[in-house]
Amino acid sequence: MRSDKGAARITFDPILLAAVMALITIGLVMVYSASAILAHDKQSDSFFFLKRQVVAFAFGLCAMATVMALGYRRLARLAYPIVVGAILLMILVLVPGIGGDANGASRWIRLPGFSLQPSECLKVAWIIYLSYSLAKKREKVVTFSVGFLPHVIFAGILAGLCLLQKDFGSAVCLLVLLFSLLFTAGAKISYLVASVLAALPVAYHFIASEPYRLRRITAFLDPWGTRHGDGYQVAESLMSIGSGGLTGLGLGDGRQKLFFLPEAHTDFIFSIVGEELGLIGVTVVVVLYVIVVWRGLRAALGASEPFGTYLGMGITTLFAFQAVVNMSVAMGLLPTKGLTLPFISYGGTSLVMMMTAAGVLLSVSASAQRASFGHRVRGQLSEAVA
Amino acid sequence: MKDLKGLSAPEPSQRWMRLRVRLLGAIFFALLCAVFARAVELQIFDRERLESMARDQYVREIEMPARRGDIFDRRGVPLAQSVEVDSIWVDPSLLDDPAQMARILAKKLNLDAKELAERMERGRRFAWVKRQARPEDVAFVRSLKSRAFGFAKEPRRFYPQRELAAHVLGLAGMDGHGLEGLELAFDDELTGEVSRIDGFRDARGRKLLTQGAINPIDRQGASVTLTIDRGLQYVTEKALSRAVVEAKGVAGMAVVLDPKTGELLALANYPGFNPNTPKDTDHHQLRNRAALDTFEPGSTFKSFVVAAALEEGVIRPDDIFYCEQGAWTVGRHTIHDSHPHEWLTPKKVLQVSSNICAAKIALKLGAANLAKYYAAFGFGQRAGLALPGEGKGTVPYPRADIYVATQAFGQGLTATAVQLAAAYGALANGGVLMRPYLVSKVTDPDGVVLLENRPTPVRRVISARTAKTVVSMLESVVENGGTAPRARMDAYRVAGKTGTAQKADPVAGGYSDKRIASFIGMVPAEDPRAVILVVVDEPKTDVYGGLVAAPAFKEIAEAAMPYLGVTPSRPVAAGPEATAVSVNPKSAAARRASSSGPSVAVPAVAVAALTENAPAGDVRVPDLSGKAGREAIARLLAASLEPRVEGSGRVVSQSPPAGTWVARGAKVRLDMEPRP
Repeated sequence: MRSDKGAARITFDPILLAAVMALITIGLVMVYSASAILAHDKQSDSFFFLKRQVVAFAFGLCAMATVMALGYRRLARLAYPIVVGAILLMILVLVPGIGGDANGASRWIRLPGFSLQPSECLKVAWIIYLSYSLAKKREKVVTFSVGFLPHVIFAGILAGLCLLQKDFGSAVCLLVLLFSLLFTAGAKISYLVASVLAALPVAYHFIASEPYRLRRITAFLDPWGTRHGDGYQVAESLMSIGSGGLTGLGLGDGRQKLFFLPEAHTDFIFSIVGEELGLIGVTVVVVLYVIVVWRGLRAALGASEPFGTYLGMGITTLFAFQAVVNMSVAMGLLPTKGLTLPFISYGGTSLVMMMTAAGVLLSVSASAQRASFGHRVRGQLSEAVA
Repeated sequence: MKDLKGLSAPEPSQRWMRLRVRLLGAIFFALLCAVFARAVELQIFDRERLESMARDQYVREIEMPARRGDIFDRRGVPLAQSVEVDSIWVDPSLLDDPAQMARILAKKLNLDAKELAERMERGRRFAWVKRQARPEDVAFVRSLKSRAFGFAKEPRRFYPQRELAAHVLGLAGMDGHGLEGLELAFDDELTGEVSRIDGFRDARGRKLLTQGAINPIDRQGASVTLTIDRGLQYVTEKALSRAVVEAKGVAGMAVVLDPKTGELLALANYPGFNPNTPKDTDHHQLRNRAALDTFEPGSTFKSFVVAAALEEGVIRPDDIFYCEQGAWTVGRHTIHDSHPHEWLTPKKVLQVSSNICAAKIALKLGAANLAKYYAAFGFGQRAGLALPGEGKGTVPYPRADIYVATQAFGQGLTATAVQLAAAYGALANGGVLMRPYLVSKVTDPDGVVLLENRPTPVRRVISARTAKTVVSMLESVVENGGTAPRARMDAYRVAGKTGTAQKADPVAGGYSDKRIASFIGMVPAEDPRAVILVVVDEPKTDVYGGLVAAPAFKEIAEAAMPYLGVTPSRPVAAGPEATAVSVNPKSAAARRASSSGPSVAVPAVAVAALTENAPAGDVRVPDLSGKAGREAIARLLAASLEPRVEGSGRVVSQSPPAGTWVARGAKVRLDMEPRP
């Protein structure tokens, strides 16, 4: 037995924390390696992107520590303000003059010194809101009218907001989070399957109606045939990863980042990891994600009340989904989505939000530690730490 | 987790929740495993294919041809050099509209638009736009600021002495390979090894890094040093061209040979050409006819007949022969002399060049001996210059008396100019034939001698005594009463022989009325240091070698003797009458002591003649003082000026001086000296 107060600080899951920090470290190193040449070329400062990422990391660390200190339970009361704030930001992007235009899609709010990507905030806000809402509704979650339909409608609206920014990846991400949490909360599987089936024709129409989305699909199906067109990124990414082989070309020695591979430091940073660090580096990254997911699910299962479980589940889903999708895109398993590789990709908002989410998850893990004090191993562990 | 049950039993829905969470966890794990499996597939199984695809786009194997070796004259003056010039290439796949760009480029760079467009079509990712482009072309393409273009330094062959020895040197083509002459004969040596290096490039087509620098020595071909002397070559070419022009001939050739060594000091052909602008020249004009082509030599062969007959003892110097008053019938043919003669000694036969008496001597010698001696003098076999296409001449065995007779005055057989000069070299060299050669040395850039020619005696043809006798007989040719008094020199004793051959008519058969006029001589007669042959093809004003070719011989000899540092045979002031007889060896020795190396004077004259006043114009002459030769030449070419180089090493003076405004294409003379 031990004092509750002291234990709250030291029983955050150390394995989860270590895995997250390891991923961030890899991320900072790879962002520098992948961006140095571009930075030098564009900004005459090869550290340009690294510096910005380090600043984001500092903010992320503060956010993470704050959330861990306050505890996830307080988020329940903040769920509405958070989600409303995120939605407002999402709408703000659409206002001309505020939203920055990058890569043909307005996804950023340009602020002096940095820019903000509201969709990254929305994903975390959505998890908090959804967890709160599902936990509040308890048994009624099973019902269609109270538990299922309102969430689906809300998710549809938010996904629509993402699509207005041509952010298909985030839209899908919101829906995946919804399904993951509905499933966890006990929604009827028949509803879930039915809604997926109902969504299919809509999705098809949606893809076919936008020529660029259709091209992305064809490029995905045949990257080599469209190598000099839409398949360019994927083809270059495959070449990057393939050239890495088992041991990689060595940190900093990748060649594809010499402007062959666009977005090498953001969406396609995994390609540079594969090229420079080889299968060994890829294995390390994948194993770290496996650890994060494993410890995340463990935290969710161990949470003392449903809100914590849903939060842990949602955040784990977010990490797992983004990691799987990003790596799959880089390796030609999925069409280009525009989702970052959690903790690794360059991008301030993404890193800060991912770290905030990790803070929430760690907070949940702490609650799990408390809840399962009777467990032999954990008892030893916390005693050792105490 | 079972122990949790005891504390707070989870609700049934919560148990379902645990199951669902684990199910989702299993899905995540499976997906991450799939990702990992895909990574294994790409990085282990597809690695080779993907890597080679990646390599294809960032690695360009760059072929770096070695800088072609230089060709030097015997004193180390560069006759052929390579300088680096920009060539422009394009990656057409990076152009938005290749056809449009082809049109623009063609217009600006004076190229054929259709041809360029086709090349770009064919090239896909690489096509030459213009090789060895002008500086203004390069500037224009750079100003396009397109990443599709690239520039490569390519060596361009440059002949600093222009027309000088052009036929000997030949030509190297755009791709740096020899097409003619020594450039072709020693192509492998001059070219050197091509080094291949991997150059990385980024997606913008910039060459980024190469794997290590190449040792510049590895990148240079061997250099070739000739026996040719730039100064003598210049004098010879000038004298030859004057002779041909004055006689209104169609062509001419001249050879200067050192009889003691067999070295060819000069080898000239007329008309000449500028190897820097080979496009302006007909291909047949490029041929080094003096070394390669054969002709019917005519009366110059009589010397060999007399030499052979003396050596065999069938005649003696004081024998006399009846010359039949100018016409003599052998079998069904009649031989004519240009002037009727009656009784002549062998010396007189040579002096007046009697065909009839030469024929009689040859008949006395016999067909077998005649053929033997002609062969011994080196006719009918290649002289051995190692030039591709070198002729060997034909000397058919004279089966009938008429053939013996005609071969005695050099008709009915052919020889190259070099063969003829070498054979006279045997007379001049005490009867020993030396192998003629043109290349003295081929040296690797690191100093290894790949090939070295040294004076090589081929055989003794006649005894030293016979040789001496014949040479003294030939001295009479340039005296009054001989066929070539115009070859006579004030300070040096000359022995020589004229030749006026009828040209065979290849169309009608038999002989035409066209002539080949020649004079071959040696100076100084008492100890010949140079054998000089001048041949004028189809002279129109006069046809006799003594009139057409002998003055050129004299001009060359007069420059060559002091140049070679040869002591005059007699005091210059002395009149010709006083020196008709042989010289007292004692006084000759005394004179030798008094005269000292005037050899520098002649090249200075030649140099002065080479320099021309550049007209005022639109290019400013750059300041080149102190610059290394190659750099100076490159800078002049970049300024659209034509360099003419004296010496080697660094520029010590230039003319016109720096800052002068001259016309595009004007010549700038650079005097160079090796760095102390």
